[in-house]
Amino acid sequence: MASEPLLEAHNLAVRYPNGELALHNVSFHIKSPSFMAIIGPNGSGKSTLVKTFLGLIKPFKGSIRVNGYDSVKKSRNIRKMVRYVPQRDRIELTIPMKVKDIVLMGRLLKKLPPRFASSKDIRIAKEALEQVDMAELWERPFPELSGGQRQRVLVARALASEGSILVLDEPLAGTDVESQDLIVKALGKYHKENDVSIVMVTHDLNPVHLLVEDVLLLKNTVIGIGEPCSIMDPELMKKVYGPTARIVEHSGHRYCMTRDSGIDRHD
Amino acid sequence: MIEIIQLILESPFLQRALIAAVLIAVVAAASGTFLVFRGLSFMASGVAHAALGGTALGIFLQDSGLVPWFDPILGALLFSVLVAVFTGYAGESGITQKMEVAVGVSFALSMSLAVFLMYYIPPYRVPQIWGYLIGDILLLNNIDVIMLASTAVLLGFITLLFNKEFVYVSVDMEGSLAHGMNARAYHYLMLVVSALAIALATKAVGAILVYAVMVAPAAASNELVKSVRGVILSVFIIALVAELVGLATSFVVFVSPSAIAGILAALSYLLALQIKRMREKVHVELDDSSLETENLEEVLEQSVTHEHREGHVH
Repeated sequence: MASEPLLEAHNLAVRYPNGELALHNVSFHIKSPSFMAIIGPNGSGKSTLVKTFLGLIKPFKGSIRVNGYDSVKKSRNIRKMVRYVPQRDRIELTIPMKVKDIVLMGRLLKKLPPRFASSKDIRIAKEALEQVDMAELWERPFPELSGGQRQRVLVARALASEGSILVLDEPLAGTDVESQDLIVKALGKYHKENDVSIVMVTHDLNPVHLLVEDVLLLKNTVIGIGEPCSIMDPELMKKVYGPTARIVEHSGHRYCMTRDSGIDRHD
Repeated sequence: MIEIIQLILESPFLQRALIAAVLIAVVAAASGTFLVFRGLSFMASGVAHAALGGTALGIFLQDSGLVPWFDPILGALLFSVLVAVFTGYAGESGITQKMEVAVGVSFALSMSLAVFLMYYIPPYRVPQIWGYLIGDILLLNNIDVIMLASTAVLLGFITLLFNKEFVYVSVDMEGSLAHGMNARAYHYLMLVVSALAIALATKAVGAILVYAVMVAPAAASNELVKSVRGVILSVFIIALVAELVGLATSFVVFVSPSAIAGILAALSYLLALQIKRMREKVHVELDDSSLETENLEEVLEQSVTHEHREGHVH
């Protein structure tokens, strides 16, 4: 099992629901375990790739495997291993969920009905909230939180759950610096202390640059793959983010600066 | 008080009405709550009208001799399930707007079908179709009550067992799927069971009462109550009180109990909106004042530490 790669794609092509090609000729492999980032501008197919390997979207051509399991035929096995944080705006706020309900959801989803929360579940959920500094808000209504706080609770949901792969879709989008730091720190610590892989979709690599081991740079196909500093190549960045992208070196690491760094507004 | 109890004991139609009131409140709590959570309050009326189309089809099949054993209620149930499945199919990805459109389309389709078939049904049976929409809680027979009771019990049982799943599907369909829950199955289960309950409740007590207690109490509770369990309980109480007051009023004044219940339920929503607005105002004022004091303390602290530092330098 350990020798199976975390992700392995062969000539993968995926269409958006409207028929447009989201991804084409995607082939790569990432060792396991890893802390990997999938980066690229808006509409580059990052979330589509994630949804494909979770079995939520069927590939149009080719295949992708997670720890050796095919995304179509073995999606059940994949989902047993996965804890997923969707983009924040996919969480409906019309339901009166409390913070604790959201965090416990991560654990209860892995159980069978009637999914009662044991005292162990509650303890682990509280510990996860502590990791992102939200423990005092246990009883607070989730929809009343700020965007950054909601994101922290969702990350806690993933930390509290079980499974060897954490998948987070844009966990840093629209969060303040404080929330960003807390999330990045919590994920880094969790990866170091546990035998888990983390797959993070992000449009801004800089906040996680020092933690990430593998980076997949996408623009509808694989543009680059490798360590963070090798991906932060001026030519590669210009190819993806346009001519205004600059690479800045800081304490031995290379960071990419775009005209509106941190704000996702690239075409 | 004793007189009232005596009156109830002596009149079976009143007993049936009271039992039906409790059962309808159960249906509202178990089904209306989750429909409002999913933003699908429109489905209650969509299903009721689909049942109308199904009844028309049933009468047509029976009367034309094509399928003589086909009871119109089977048509009603079949159509309401079709609406639920169609709605569920449109919303498999978890997008509510698509489901609303599907409800609207199937609403129009089944009404058109009902009107189409009315031309081929003997005129004396047409009122049976419209009877679907204008039921009366005081005119129930034993079979109505038994059917309603079995629906309410089934719905209540399924909701007790799967309420977490229904909530998860509403909150985060993608996440539920990705964590390995069979979210699609629960998505359909919730819609189909709700549709069956709505169709049977409509047959028993009429569409007006069903609309009134399916949507408004859940919407009102969802504005004010901050836990799922609290909302379910509050829906049950609001619906039951509205129905009982409606029944009581109908004894004093010459008026339809469903109409009074409907008006009360709708008013509960308006009241909830108003209370929420007032609460929010208080919150904003509180937030403002707390912000100011915090700022003042911060400023003070900063100035104090500043002085300290300056003192050190000097």
